[in-house]
Amino acid sequence: MSFDENIEIPKVVIVGHVDHGKSSLIGRLMYDLGEVPSEKYKELKLVSEKRGMEFEYAFLLDALQAERDQGITIDTTQIFFKTKKRKYVFIDAPGHKEFIRNMITGASSADIAVLIIDAHEGLKEQTKKHAYLLKLLGLDNVICLFNKMDKINYDEKKFFKVEKELHQFITNIGINITAKIPVSAKCGDNIVSKSKNLIWYDDETFCEILDTYNIKKGSDKLPLRLPVQDIYKIDDKRVIVGRIETGELTLNDELFFLPSNETVKLKSFEAWPKAKRKYISGDNVGLTIEEQIFIDKGNLISHVTSRPKLMNTFEANLFWLSEKKLKVNKQYLMKINTGEYNIFIRKVSRVIDTNNLNSKHSSLSPEKNDVCEVIIHSSQLIPMDDFKDNQKTGRFCILDEEKIIAGGIINLQNFPDQKDVVQTKNIKPVSFSVSEIDRALRFNHRSAIIWMTGLSGSGKSTIAKEIEKKLFLKNYNVFVLDGDNLRAGINRGLGFTTEERTENIRRTAEVARLFSQAGFIVIVSLISPYISERKKARDIRPEIFKEIFIKASIDECKKRDVKGFYSKAISGEIENFTGISSPYEDPTNPDLILNTEKESIEESVNKLENFIIKEFGMTNNS
Amino acid sequence: MNSHLKKLENESIYIFREAYRSIKNISMLWSLGKDSNVMVWIAFKAFLGKIPFPLVHVDTGKKFKEMYDFRNKYEKKWNIKLIKGDCPPVEEIDPSLPPAARSAARKTEGLKKILKTYQFKGVVAGIRRDEQGTRAKERIFSPRDESGKWDVKNQPPEFWDQSNFNYPDKVHIRIHPLLSWTEIDIWQYIKDQKIPIVDLYFSKNGKRYRSLGDKDITSPVNSNAKNLDEIISELKITKVSERSGRVMDHEQEDVFERLRTKGYM
Repeated sequence: MSFDENIEIPKVVIVGHVDHGKSSLIGRLMYDLGEVPSEKYKELKLVSEKRGMEFEYAFLLDALQAERDQGITIDTTQIFFKTKKRKYVFIDAPGHKEFIRNMITGASSADIAVLIIDAHEGLKEQTKKHAYLLKLLGLDNVICLFNKMDKINYDEKKFFKVEKELHQFITNIGINITAKIPVSAKCGDNIVSKSKNLIWYDDETFCEILDTYNIKKGSDKLPLRLPVQDIYKIDDKRVIVGRIETGELTLNDELFFLPSNETVKLKSFEAWPKAKRKYISGDNVGLTIEEQIFIDKGNLISHVTSRPKLMNTFEANLFWLSEKKLKVNKQYLMKINTGEYNIFIRKVSRVIDTNNLNSKHSSLSPEKNDVCEVIIHSSQLIPMDDFKDNQKTGRFCILDEEKIIAGGIINLQNFPDQKDVVQTKNIKPVSFSVSEIDRALRFNHRSAIIWMTGLSGSGKSTIAKEIEKKLFLKNYNVFVLDGDNLRAGINRGLGFTTEERTENIRRTAEVARLFSQAGFIVIVSLISPYISERKKARDIRPEIFKEIFIKASIDECKKRDVKGFYSKAISGEIENFTGISSPYEDPTNPDLILNTEKESIEESVNKLENFIIKEFGMTNNS
Repeated sequence: MNSHLKKLENESIYIFREAYRSIKNISMLWSLGKDSNVMVWIAFKAFLGKIPFPLVHVDTGKKFKEMYDFRNKYEKKWNIKLIKGDCPPVEEIDPSLPPAARSAARKTEGLKKILKTYQFKGVVAGIRRDEQGTRAKERIFSPRDESGKWDVKNQPPEFWDQSNFNYPDKVHIRIHPLLSWTEIDIWQYIKDQKIPIVDLYFSKNGKRYRSLGDKDITSPVNSNAKNLDEIISELKITKVSERSGRVMDHEQEDVFERLRTKGYM
């Protein structure tokens, strides 16, 4: 028998409800593959007989006396064996709800997930919880085994009934099912060899499915993420050590450090007995840099392009493992990669009932083994990625009294990257006692700059007025900055030349920024005719800026001529009038288009209202 | 080095560095066996050529002469800071244990003495999951209470390379950098890296040692493997378990669990 020894060995975790046959399955698989040494078989036969049982395959893994006596798995086990094609590490995870932390310990390192379900009993509480946890652990694909087919007389109809139920549940979680196999671990059906009892199933056996399973990799292709693990002083060198989580690193690379925002060139790699010139994801490196800057454990190194985000507020999905309930606004310690930060959970948005995937209405205080969605805030800036972009730097654990009590994955969609706020090397952000997130949590919406651009007469002011009223009635903090009104005050004295229009837009955008920092939804109603100037406005706060194109043709606007400007412009009485004697550049990629020629004002306002609530409202409270 | 070994080596280096940065005052057990030497080798890699903590040899006084010779040679050659500890006589050990296990348990007591003397908060040990059923249930960072006890039914969570490091004063942490390695991985790595080992592992007169313990409770297995390649080939087909020559493992069903919950490695 020969293997390609360069192939990495996949880790396979088996999860599912207690007593649905996880340990037995692995035991049976090993036995059928001839991987149980004869002396071990004899030993376990005696052990089984001592307990008055037939040969118990699970005892290959359940090595503890308490496990054998009670017939359950208490802690996770890893066991090694090979099929004809390759080697595997099998991780057996306990199915009892008391041992969720052990299940997570086991499953967190797996490459392949297998969910086992008793075809006789159907979906149980821990079947569903485990499936949900797989998703949080980043295991998006699952092989489903329907065990104990012998107990339902290998009945096809009964199988499909359970199969349908499971399929629906798993798909709702957002996990993809790779295979569905009817098996019996006890009788050896469809484990290694094809079952004669299941002639209606003509697909592959469990072992065949495993052997052809492709493990998705790609850590090398992601951008560089190198958390600083430690700094060693060796002779007179300061050597930064850490593991490349994703990406690659080559001699002479420029390195970007977060949270300090500094760029320094890599000087040398340090290793024993000899360093290489290039390292890839998974490698532990030692390196020195050209300039001595302040570096600490927990800093995150990337390349200058594709940097991580720098956050002090973000959303996360948590699994809570502590006996003590989650407490809002209590200080916890968060560990992400090699960094540690004090955090507060500011809000529990939702506790998920994994039995039906609905919110647990009765409670917003998660307890042991609950999964929930939260908003986390820290007074420090934390380098991280969205879990969807990078699993390695998008997950963390939470500690209380120096013990791990929760794990979580990060969702960065709804909060701004603070790195954009801290662009300049020598400017450190000042933290005020009331932060934007405090305001957002009180107002129940995030701040926004809704920038409406369009010709004079396209309907900007009318829409602005209506949207302000509607949002205000919904308890939103909303304020309109209207071009004409601003020209009477802060922009007084500015005319309509290109330079003056540019300055007009700059001032308006800065005022909008201040309002947004105060937590407002700012509605800007301004012709703002140039693409380049609107771009500058966006760049002030790109994460909350939305460009809304109020669309109406010049002919239509001329026809409307509400303020009588068009006739004056055409006669030459007004100079530099947009659309007549000065250009208007249509947005190339607006966030929303409101076509006031084709839709009524009411329709446009409703569209805009839905857009704002969807993008900036903080839901789940309604 | 093939990518599988590279992955294992990387995991182990990371564990060493985490242990050193997160636990004050650690040491490493050096039993002079093959796994132990792989561990020393990886520690050199983790710390760039100089191991920043002492090694500990818990000496039962009943090791093979070849092992003592090896220790004396490499202590100098590798420039190792070595603590040698002795073990109490067997009469002082729990008499309810079967004879070989009782003898092996001397090592547990020897280790406890060293921990107490030097106040180590962490001890690196080269156990592997594939050796034995209860070792398969181990954590990488595994706490032991004051009496050295392993609370196997209540182990801490450990995921995404995050572990608990802070425990009450008298608790120490066993650090297991080789937990994911298998016997054949160890041999392939020894071959790849040319790591020196005691030559009792190689066959003489049709017998060799697969696992080294005290000479009175360890026996050789039948084998003709005279060099690394032959050992690796043998391991690919053997159905005999690695610790079959260790008498203590086979005396009673639960003997290893009893030893381990009391603090054995």
